[in-house]
Formats: sequence, structure tokens, C-alpha cells
Amino acid sequence: MFDRDAWLEIFHTVLSNPLRTGLTGLSIALGIFILVVMQGLGAGLESGVKNTFGDNASNTIQVRTGNAQLAYRGRKPNRRVDLHNADERALQDQLDTVPAWSRLVFRWGSTVQYGNQQGSYNVRGVDPDQREIGQVALTAGRFLSPLDIDAERKVAVIGATLLQDLYPKGTPPDAAVGTFVQLRGIQFAVVGTFDQAGSRWENRSVYVPFTTAQKLFQNSDVVGRVSIGTGDAAIEETRETSATLLGWLKDRLVVHPDDAEGVWVDNRNEEAEIFRQIFSGIRLFVWFVGMMTLLAGAMGVANIMAIVVRERTKEIGVRKALGATSGRIVGQIVQEAVFLMLISGCVGLLAGTWLLQGISPMVEHDFFSNPRVNFESALGALGVLIFVGVVSAIGPAVRAVTIRPVEALRDE
Amino acid sequence: MLEIGCFHRNYRILHAAEYGARYLRAVIKLQGIRKSYQTGAQSMEVLKGIDCSIAAGELVAIMGSSGSGKSTLLNVLGLLDDFDAGTYHLDGQDMSGLSEKQAARYRSEFLGFVFQSFNLIGYKTALENVALPLYYQGVPRKERQEKAMRFLEKVGLADWSNHLPNQMSGGQKQRVAIARALIANPRVILADEPTGALDSTTSEDVMELLKEINREGITIVVVTHEHEIAEQCHRIIRLKDGCIEDQMKSQHV
Repeated sequence: MFDRDAWLEIFHTVLSNPLRTGLTGLSIALGIFILVVMQGLGAGLESGVKNTFGDNASNTIQVRTGNAQLAYRGRKPNRRVDLHNADERALQDQLDTVPAWSRLVFRWGSTVQYGNQQGSYNVRGVDPDQREIGQVALTAGRFLSPLDIDAERKVAVIGATLLQDLYPKGTPPDAAVGTFVQLRGIQFAVVGTFDQAGSRWENRSVYVPFTTAQKLFQNSDVVGRVSIGTGDAAIEETRETSATLLGWLKDRLVVHPDDAEGVWVDNRNEEAEIFRQIFSGIRLFVWFVGMMTLLAGAMGVANIMAIVVRERTKEIGVRKALGATSGRIVGQIVQEAVFLMLISGCVGLLAGTWLLQGISPMVEHDFFSNPRVNFESALGALGVLIFVGVVSAIGPAVRAVTIRPVEALRDE
Repeated sequence: MLEIGCFHRNYRILHAAEYGARYLRAVIKLQGIRKSYQTGAQSMEVLKGIDCSIAAGELVAIMGSSGSGKSTLLNVLGLLDDFDAGTYHLDGQDMSGLSEKQAARYRSEFLGFVFQSFNLIGYKTALENVALPLYYQGVPRKERQEKAMRFLEKVGLADWSNHLPNQMSGGQKQRVAIARALIANPRVILADEPTGALDSTTSEDVMELLKEINREGITIVVVTHEHEIAEQCHRIIRLKDGCIEDQMKSQHV
């Protein structure tokens, strides 16, 4: 199968009719090209959407309060509901074990100054677990520590956009660690920097200790939000936890059980599940369309191989008369089809990858970023090609087997 | 029907005995070979019991009008087609009921073919065409090409080894085909109208080449309808309506 002569035979036959070979190759290359490009665009859409909505890891439950709409137990409607430190501690007691837990106070549009440069950014007071919950990608220094929380230290972890905007051009992340910035007029030491690739919103943020932020920027013991990491708990389990927490919070904060807006418990697992379903649907669709295109290409190859066999009936007869067994002939035809498929498939694969890489920098968008071909789907496509190649050659090869060497003796 | 169809049977057996005495070993031995083709609901008997023996080193012509069964006989001899009844011994081995694979093996070991329309592969050079049977015998490439070159020299076409068939004349093509038939060192060469597509001068050249090969000891069976060709052979077998009509020794031998 892999000797030099078999390959020479293939090159001979493939090259002896360049137009036919070219057209067949084109249909396959196009099929793979479409598959790869669509797959890449799907991946781009997925990562774009994830960047936009993904300011927190998907395995979290978010707890926050809002405006109660209904009168309940003597409270008037349309009132503000707040979660205080005491409520937050009691909430924590409701759960046995929690993989990650972070409080949040949030101040957007906060002035941050370094040297003479200043700008408006988002300040987030958080707990150390926020690193895991928000999947913060540190580029230098460290994240907030429990000690920072306890001692209410004035330390900050700044996003890549601040580094870019406020610091001299080309300052490496390491150089920013140890400097001081003014947050709303108060001096903070920079202990770390982070860069959430592709997320402009995240990178405009500054993390400071929750306790510090609550004291300096809020002047009350209200907790803006609680993020609860659910680890690798199953979705049903997180659903149950969310429902329990919601019921408990409504009772504690005196919110009517039917009130939809007083207390919010968002199970991000739920959203992630929906996204997962949407994207697996898109992936399935992409593969389906790609496979159909490939199938059309494969039919083209089968057709061409059928013509090849028909055209070469006499030659196959002669080869048989000269001692070729049917096995050798079938092997040659199958090998030829697979070879054709693989070469043109690789061309399509390369063209698709090249196109995706070419357009990638130009199409950054909130819902679209970093379109790419992953290695597994490329391998999968090649596997499909080989399979389709063999299948498309079987029909013509069987025809070739039925050609009797007598054909060689027949003169037109 | 058998009696009516083959009323020359006694005559032929006499001849067979005579030739059996002259040549020690029969390389081809046919006994009662029958072959019929199914055309729709009807079955048409093309060979109606052929008995004949061809000895090693013989140069035999098979003649007959079209429809006499001579092509079918050649197909049977060449293991290109099976037969319904009778026995066929090639080089002492029974050839009945062969699988396709076995037939392919015997063809490549025992037989060489020369066709009327040459049947060279158009996109292969003369050298590659000659080497092709050895490819199917699994002979290494280098050895194959050296051997093919020797055989091209033998048929006087060493200078044409790298030419494609369509760059050659009919006579040259047939000589390439003969070299191809010879390369696997066959016992028998079966030639189907080898001069059918050639003019008389070239026909003569090709016939001289076949005779020379025969003188080296290779048995040759030529199917032809040209008397000038047939008369150069040792023996002429005449077919008519699927039976051997007569056999005669050529005066030229």
C-alpha cells in the first residue's frame, strides 16, 4: 500500500487528467473550507459571547437585593431592600460548605489617578475568593489576601486598561506593582495587575479589599452583592441551593414570597447551561452543514472515480491480463480517492485557517472575538475525509472488480 | 448434436497423436472444452467440445471466420474466461475451477499476451509498460527496469525506452507489447491478431520477431485470419462453428 510504485501509479493517473482532478479536488477543498470557516466563526461567536457575559465564572450563584414591589408584613410597596453585613453572615451560615464566597461593593465611574494621569474606572471591593469566582488572570504581583481584608488595607489590583492609560507607554505589569494610585482621592498601593483577555469591561476595573471599600467609599454596612462559588456541583443541586437561599432571604429581609424584584438570586449555572445548549446547537448545526457539503463533495469524487473506472475499463482489463489481482486494482482506486481527498482537504483546511487568521484582527466585536480552528475539529475533519474517501471509492472499485480481463481483448 | 457439430473428430485425433509423438511434452492440453454464453433466455454454445494439444516450443496458428469461437478459445487458453465443461491442463496443471486470484497468478506466471490493438498504457513510457507485469509479481523497481531495458533492446527499441506509446509507430508499439509479454518469462505467448492493425511490411517484421522468440523455445499461439501469417506457423488449427474443423502442418516448416 505504501510502496513507491503505488504512489507513482497514483501520481500518473491523478496528473494525467489535471482538469478532472482539479475540479474534484476543488469540491472537496470547498467542503472542508466551509466546514472550517463556519466552525471557526462559531467558535468566535462563542468566545465573544463568553467574554461579554463572562465577568464571573459560570459556576456561581449571585445574590443581590433590589426594590420590593409588593406590600408585605406591614412594609409598604416599592421600597429599597438592603443586605447588611449581619444578613450576609447569617446567609453564610445557611450553607454547609461553600467552595468560594465573595462580597462585593461596586463603585463605577470612580476617578483613579497615577501621577498626572487620571481617568474614570470601576472600583470593586471584593474578598480574596473573587479571584476564583471572577477567574482573574493576574499578570504581575498578587491578588487580595485575607490579611488585606482583616486589616482593611489600602491595596489595589488594577486592570490592563488602567496600566495602559495611566502609566507611561510600555510600562510592564511588574513595574506597576509597588506604585501608588489615588482612588477617589485616597492613596492605594498597587499589589497586582491583571488582564482579562478580550474583555474591555473587566480590564477597566480595580479590585480593592471589600472591608476597605465598604468603609471608605460606601459609609454603610450594606453589601452590594454576594457571589457564591458552586464548585463542580451538579446543576440540579445548585438549583436547589438557589431556591433555598431565595426563600430564606425573602423571609429574613421581609419580602413577599411572590415579589420578583426585592431579592435576586441568579444561578449562573442556569445561564451557562442555556449558553452551553445554544452553542452545542450551533456546533451541531455547523457540523451538519459542513458534513452535508462534504457529502456533496464526496459524491463528486464518487462520480469522478466512476468515470475514471469506466474510462479505464480497458486499462484495468489489460492490467488484469498482465497479472493484477482485483485486490490490487481496488487498492489502487481506493488509495487514489483517499489521496485526492486528503490533498484537497488539506488545501481547504489551510485556506480556511488562513482566512480565519486573516480576518481575526478585523472583526473584534462584543459578540465576536478570536475565531479559530481547534486542533480536534481539524483532526476530525481529516478523519471524516479519509472515511468519505474510502466510501466514495467503494462503488467504483466494485465496478472495477467486475471488469473481466476479456475486456482487454475486445477491440472497438 | 455433438456428432453433427464435430464430425471431424477422428481426423483430428489422428493428428493429435502424430504431434504427440513429435513433441515430447504438451504445454497446453484441452479435452472436451465447452463454453456457452447466456444471451437473454437463450444459451448459445460457442465452443462445442474442443480437444487439442499444443506442445512445448510449438508455433501454432488458430484460424477461423468471425463467430467460429476462436476468440473465446483464446480467452479460455489465456485464463481470461472460464469454461463450462472439459479439462484444461496448462504446463501439466489443471486449470478448471480457478478463483480469480489463482487465474491472475497463473496468467502472470505462465502466460504472455499480445493484443491486436497493442493495449499499452498511454501515460506510461515504453520501459514502464514493459516492466508492468513484473510490478504485479512484486519484483523490485530497479531490477524491473533493468530487465525491461534488456527486453526493449531485444526487440530493438532501446532508444525508445522513454517514449510514450503515442509517439511510436504501430510496429514499434507491437514490439513493445511483445517485450512486455516476454518479460515475465512465460511458457506460452498468446497473440490475438498481432498483425491485425499493421501494414504488410511491419506485419512481416513482427512475425519475424515472434518466430525468433519461438526459436528460443517459447510456445506461441497466434489467432489470425491472415493466411500469410498462419502459413509461417508450424501448425494451423481451423475452427468452424465452435469445433475444430481441421488441423494441418504448414508446408513452410
